[in-house]
Amino acid sequence: MQVEKFYYDNRIVKNFAYATIIWGGVGMLVGLWAALQLVFPQLNITQYGSFGRLRPLHTNAVIFAFVGNGIFMGVYYSLQRLCKARMYSDKLSYIHFWGWQLIIVAAAITLPLGLTQGAEYAELIWPIDVAITIIWVVFGWNMFGTIIKRRQRHLYVAIWFYIATFVTVAVLHIVRSGQLPYSWLQSYSWYSGVQDALVQWWYGHNAVAFFLTTPYLGLMYYFLPKAANRPVYSYKLSIIHFWSLIFLYIWAGPHHLLYTALPNWAQSLGIVFSVMLLFPSWGGMINGLLTLRGAWDRVRDDVILKFMVVAVTAYGMATFEGPMLSLKSVSSISHYTDWIVAHVHVGALGWNGMLTFGVLYWLLPKIFNTQLYSKKLASNHFWLATLGIIFYAIPMYWAGIQQSLMWKEFTDAGQLKYSFLETVTYMKPFYAMRALGGVLYLSGVFIMFYNIYKTVKQGKLVANEEAEAAPLAIITEKHKGEHWHRVIERKPIQLMILSLIVILIGGIIEMVPTFMIKSNVPTISSVKPYTPLELQGRDIYVREGCYVCHSQMIRPFRSETERYGEYSKAGEFIYDKPFQWGSKRTGPDLAREGTGNLRKTDGWHFRHFREPSSMSEGSIMPTYPFLIEQKLDTSNTAAKINAMRKLGVPYEKGYEKFANKDLMTQANSIRINLKIEGIQVPADREVIALIAYMQRLGKDITNNNTATFNK
Amino acid sequence: MFKFIKQYAETISGINIYPMISLLIFLIFFIVLLVLVKKMKKEKITELSNIPFDNEELSNTTLAKTNSTL
Repeated sequence: MQVEKFYYDNRIVKNFAYATIIWGGVGMLVGLWAALQLVFPQLNITQYGSFGRLRPLHTNAVIFAFVGNGIFMGVYYSLQRLCKARMYSDKLSYIHFWGWQLIIVAAAITLPLGLTQGAEYAELIWPIDVAITIIWVVFGWNMFGTIIKRRQRHLYVAIWFYIATFVTVAVLHIVRSGQLPYSWLQSYSWYSGVQDALVQWWYGHNAVAFFLTTPYLGLMYYFLPKAANRPVYSYKLSIIHFWSLIFLYIWAGPHHLLYTALPNWAQSLGIVFSVMLLFPSWGGMINGLLTLRGAWDRVRDDVILKFMVVAVTAYGMATFEGPMLSLKSVSSISHYTDWIVAHVHVGALGWNGMLTFGVLYWLLPKIFNTQLYSKKLASNHFWLATLGIIFYAIPMYWAGIQQSLMWKEFTDAGQLKYSFLETVTYMKPFYAMRALGGVLYLSGVFIMFYNIYKTVKQGKLVANEEAEAAPLAIITEKHKGEHWHRVIERKPIQLMILSLIVILIGGIIEMVPTFMIKSNVPTISSVKPYTPLELQGRDIYVREGCYVCHSQMIRPFRSETERYGEYSKAGEFIYDKPFQWGSKRTGPDLAREGTGNLRKTDGWHFRHFREPSSMSEGSIMPTYPFLIEQKLDTSNTAAKINAMRKLGVPYEKGYEKFANKDLMTQANSIRINLKIEGIQVPADREVIALIAYMQRLGKDITNNNTATFNK
Repeated sequence: MFKFIKQYAETISGINIYPMISLLIFLIFFIVLLVLVKKMKKEKITELSNIPFDNEELSNTTLAKTNSTL
C-alpha cells in the first residue's frame, strides 16, 4: 500500500511542556510558602495569603496545573506516535491548551479571593467547573479524532490508560460538581453530610487514581520503554494491570472515611478493595522496573532512567502504603495526621514529579533536535529531588506518628496527657525540616529551568516532524477465531464504553445505597437548620478554608470523646452543604466547639480570631483581623435560604423575607455579649457571623437530652 | 465497640450481601480476564509490545532477547 507522508505536531507538545515547568514551579513555590507558614505564622500575609486559602491553591496547582499539563504533554507526544497520525485538529489542540491555562489562571485568582466550594481538590467554583467540562470534552474530541484517523491498527496499552482517564475523570467531575448556584460565582452542593462525604472521597480518591495515576501509567508504558530502548517487560501483565486497576480503584474511596459516621458496610467495601488494589498496582510497578532487565547498568549513566526508576519505585512505595493505611487499625493512628501528608508527597513528588522530569529531559531535546545542554546539571537535579523527597517524607512520617501517639496518650489517672496545643508546638521542628525538603526539591526544579532554557536555546523546534506510514486497510470481515482483546484494541469507542462500564460498577454499588440512606440514616429530631447568621458564618468558615486544618468529625475512640465530646453521628450533618469533616488536624476538631467544656465565650472567639496566640500561646493559626473590619454581606441571605430550601433544607416558605431580620437580632445579641466582655464591635461584621457558627457547632444533640433518634 | 456505627448499616435491609456481591463480581471479572489473557498468542504479544518502536530503532539483539523472555 502507498505510504503516506504526514507531520507530527510538536508545537503543542512544547507548549504543554513549558506550561508543566512553569506551573510546576509556581505550585511548588506556593507549597513551600504554605509549609513555612506552619513554622512562621506571621507569613500569613493579608487574607489573600492565609494558609486556608493558599493550601487549596497549592494542591490545585500541583494536581491540575503541573500534573495536568504534564499529562497533556505526554499524551500529545505519545498519542501521535502510537497512532502514526498528527493530532486530529490543530485548532482543538490550541483551544485545549489555552482553555486549560485560562482555567488555571482563574483558579489562581479565585482561590486566594476565598471563592471556593470547600471540598478538597474540588474547590473551584461552578463557572470554572463548567469551563473544565468544556475543555475536557475538547481534549477527548481531539484524542478520539486522532485515534480514529490512526495508521496503526492496534491501540497500544498507553492509549487505553488515556481513554480510561478521559472517561473516568469526566464521570468524576460531573458527579462531584453537582451543585445549585445561588449567585454568579457561588453555589451549594447538591449533596449534604454523609452523602456529600461519600461523593467527595469517591471523587477525591479517584482524582488520585485517574488524574495522578492512570495517565501517568500510560506515560510510563510509553516513555520508559522508549528511554530504555526496549519493549515493556510483559504486555500480558499490562493488560491485566489495566483492567484490574481501573476496576478496583473506583471502590476504594471510603477508606478516607474510616471510623467516621459513614455506614460501616461502605467502610468495609473501601477497605477490601483498597487491599486488593495492591496487586494490580504492584503488577504495574514490577512491569515498569523489569522493563529495565538486562539494562540496569545503563541506569548508572543515564539520568533520565534514574528519574524514571525513582518514579516507579515511589509509585510502588505509595501503592503499598495506601492499602496499609486503609486498614482500620492503621487508619486509627494515621488519619488526621501528617503521615497522610507524607504519603501523598511520596506519590506527588516521587511518582508524578520524577516521571515528569524524566519525560521532560527525554522529550524536549528530541523536539528541539538537539542534545540535553548538561547531563551533569540534570544529575544534580536528580540528587536534589531525591534528597528533597527524603527530607520531606521522613520528618512528616515521624511527626504524624508522634502526633497521633500524643493525642492518644493518657496519664495514670486516666486523663489526656497532652493538650492539643502541646502537640502542635511539638510539630514545629518537623514542619521546619519538611520545608527544608521542599527547598531542596524546588532548587532542583530551578536547575531544570536553566538546563532546559539552555537546551532549547541551542536547538530549534521541529514544529512539524515528518513521518511516514501506510494508511489502514479497511477490514470488512472479522478474522475467524480472532482474539477478543485484539478486537477491542482496534475499536477505541468500544474500549471506552467497556472502561466506562467497569468503572461504573463500583461507583453504582457504592453510591446507590448512600442515596437511599436519606430514608435510612437515623434522623435526629433536635438537629435543626442553621439560622441565617450561622449559615453566613458557615460560609465564611468555608471561604477561609478552615476545613484545611480543622476536622468536624469525632471518631469513636476514648481519646477523642475525652477531648472533643460525644462521637459524631450521621444524622447531625443532614443540613451541611458542603460537609466539613476535614481530613487533617493541624488544629483541633471543632465538631462540638459550641458545647460542654469546649464552649468558649463570644469574647474568647473574638480575641482568638483577631490574634490566636493571645488566647492560645504558641498557636500557629493565622490571624483574622479582617473579619472584624469587613461588613457581612447580607444581600445574598435570601438567595442562600432559597437555594438551601430547594436542596431540601426545611426553611419555611417565605422565610427568606424575614431571614435578615432574624440575622440582625442574633448578631445584636452577640454584639451585646461582646460589649459585656469589654469589646466594642458593630453587629454587622463578619466575625459576628463566624462566632455564631462556632457557638452552634455540636449544640443540636448534646444540649438537648430529649433528642429523639429516629432509626 | 463499633456497634454504634454498625447500627446505621443494619437499617438498610439486606446490606450484608453487598460486600459479597462486590467481591464476586470482581473475582469473576478477574478470572475471565486472566483466562482470556492467557490464551493470547505470543507473536501477537511481541508485535503489540513493539508498537512504540519503529522497528529499526530496536537492535536485533534486543528484539531477540524480548522474544526469548516472553
